[in-house]
Amino acid sequence: MRLLLIEDDELLGEGLASWLRNAGHVVDWCRMLRDTEAYRGEPFDAWLVDWMLPDGSGVQWLRHRRGLGEHTPALLLTARDRVEDRVRGLDSGADDYLVKPFAPEELAARLRAVGRRSAGGSGTRMALAGGVEADLAARAAYVDKQRVELTGREWAVLEALLLRAGRTVPKSDLERLVLGFDTELASNALKVHVSALRRKLGRGVVETVRNLGYRLELM
Amino acid sequence: MNGSDVDHPSVGIAPAARPESTTPAAPPPPPSIQTRLGRTLMGWSLVWSMAVALAVWLAARYEVEELLDDTLVASAEALHSVLPLAAPSPAPRPPLGAIHPERDRYGWQLIAADGTVLLRSALAPAEPLVPRPTAGFSDSPEWRTYGLALEEGGRWLYVAQTRRERVEAQAEVGLTAVLAALAIGGLGQIWLRYRVRHELQPLQRLSERLLSHDPAAAMPALGPAQRAELAPMHDALGGLGQRLQQRIAAERAFSAHAAHALRTPLAGIDAQLAVALQQAPVELQPRLTRIREAAARLQRVVAALIGLFRTGVTPEIQELDAESLVRRLPVPGLKVAFVGDLTVRADPDLLAAALANLLDNAERHGAHRIVIDQPQPQCLRLHDDGPGVNAARRDELAAALADQDYEGHTGLGLMLADRVARAHGGWLRLPATDTGFQVELQLGPLVDTR
Repeated sequence: MRLLLIEDDELLGEGLASWLRNAGHVVDWCRMLRDTEAYRGEPFDAWLVDWMLPDGSGVQWLRHRRGLGEHTPALLLTARDRVEDRVRGLDSGADDYLVKPFAPEELAARLRAVGRRSAGGSGTRMALAGGVEADLAARAAYVDKQRVELTGREWAVLEALLLRAGRTVPKSDLERLVLGFDTELASNALKVHVSALRRKLGRGVVETVRNLGYRLELM
Repeated sequence: MNGSDVDHPSVGIAPAARPESTTPAAPPPPPSIQTRLGRTLMGWSLVWSMAVALAVWLAARYEVEELLDDTLVASAEALHSVLPLAAPSPAPRPPLGAIHPERDRYGWQLIAADGTVLLRSALAPAEPLVPRPTAGFSDSPEWRTYGLALEEGGRWLYVAQTRRERVEAQAEVGLTAVLAALAIGGLGQIWLRYRVRHELQPLQRLSERLLSHDPAAAMPALGPAQRAELAPMHDALGGLGQRLQQRIAAERAFSAHAAHALRTPLAGIDAQLAVALQQAPVELQPRLTRIREAAARLQRVVAALIGLFRTGVTPEIQELDAESLVRRLPVPGLKVAFVGDLTVRADPDLLAAALANLLDNAERHGAHRIVIDQPQPQCLRLHDDGPGVNAARRDELAAALADQDYEGHTGLGLMLADRVARAHGGWLRLPATDTGFQVELQLGPLVDTR
């Protein structure tokens, strides 16, 4: 998943970013709200937003972004644990609310839950074309019940399409979702990963929409 | 000893002294307005009844005397007109028979000039009522007599009434007055009780509203005063509520910042440890796992303490084993022994915070060993082998804990433990001991085990 992490605390921000990257996510980390301006229009699978930031309130920021029509799933990460705070946070447009201190493993589980909701599924296993299954929790793909080994990038492509199942994902968006904002890669890197996925899972899983991008359908 | 690390006597700790009760005695119930008013009215009713009865009796005595005397005079005059004044025979006659002897209250005699009783009523004595002829009223121990000198023959007519009857008549008047006054007093008491109960209802309603009032909410929920006398109380409570509300708002703002300042680094530590666990060589992972578990315990304790100092937070009570709780606490440099069953009902995080602070306290004050037992249900006693404190200092600490006046009197450990005990409806005691220092953490009201 490509994640935008907005957290001013160096210890927590660096720790979370590293842990999530090690877990295979693409993380863009902003220490201030104003830093997020550089990411306007960028596709993300989820925003991880701290409430109290040096240059403003994460809740206000979220409300503003929702007002602009942006619907990227958002998780509030905050030390405020009162019921009224949770209500206020969720009412501001957050999809989930995580009280500090929390274990990164719990954050990852909540991200998977957000992903499932985005994909329109209820379980972690999703059926694709050609007897292929994908498990968001295990980060694994199966063909005829047999696990198929995927590289991190290949899984990232599959996951990005799974989270947008049924929708055409532009190539540029998919590149950024998989490779991140700052990553410089060869222009055909995405094509290489998609080809590898088709080779391992079958050609019918990822569909090319000519001149637009890629699409994946759930069964 | 139950799984003990040390034998109790061998650590030089004397057997626990009988805990000196530092529990403040329950204050006597306050006097009831209704009862006090009732008693006052009862007292005044009695005094008033007596005073009225005395006044009535004094007045009635004179009037009754006068009335009875008039009756005697009238009777004498009546007899004077009907008696055969010129009796043909001066010889005495037997007493006349009474028509209603049981109701006979009067007597009369017709006396000859020589003092012989010529004629008398059934009640009148055979001897003259008056030793010497006397006109008008005269008194003897038994009779009040009115004498009338007849015109012929030097005879006398005496009409008399028994003194007992006269006293009885006066007593009846007095008693009736007393009973009437008492009846008025009694009825007044019943009426007063009803009125007092009725008039105290607004206070009762005010109490109910206060009970259901959220201190963080605005005070108008109390509503307007229903009696003029309650208006100052409503105003005072309104002011108090406003100050309380402001204070809670300030406390909430502070606790939000404090929580942020504590929780965020804790989350950072955990995230960094999680990354370290991902990247560390296999041989380092058990060590990092233990550190992460300790960090998780620290998180729970900090969360419990943040909650403890907030308003309106209720402990999450559950049955737990204090021994296993203590075994999970980091207490380096302190050997802990456990005696008997240490099962209590408490909030695990709050209890862990209290015990961790008490153990840390003991270690910092020079204790090397500590014994934990349960002298009574819901009470954990910690007895260490440190230098302890003298009686004066112990009394000072106990007073500070009883008054919750911690600042400048107790350290953080005792204060936190006391707050935890109070959050469970209990308190912290410091029983006297010959060696070391003893603390009793009462986690709830005392249970009568007799």
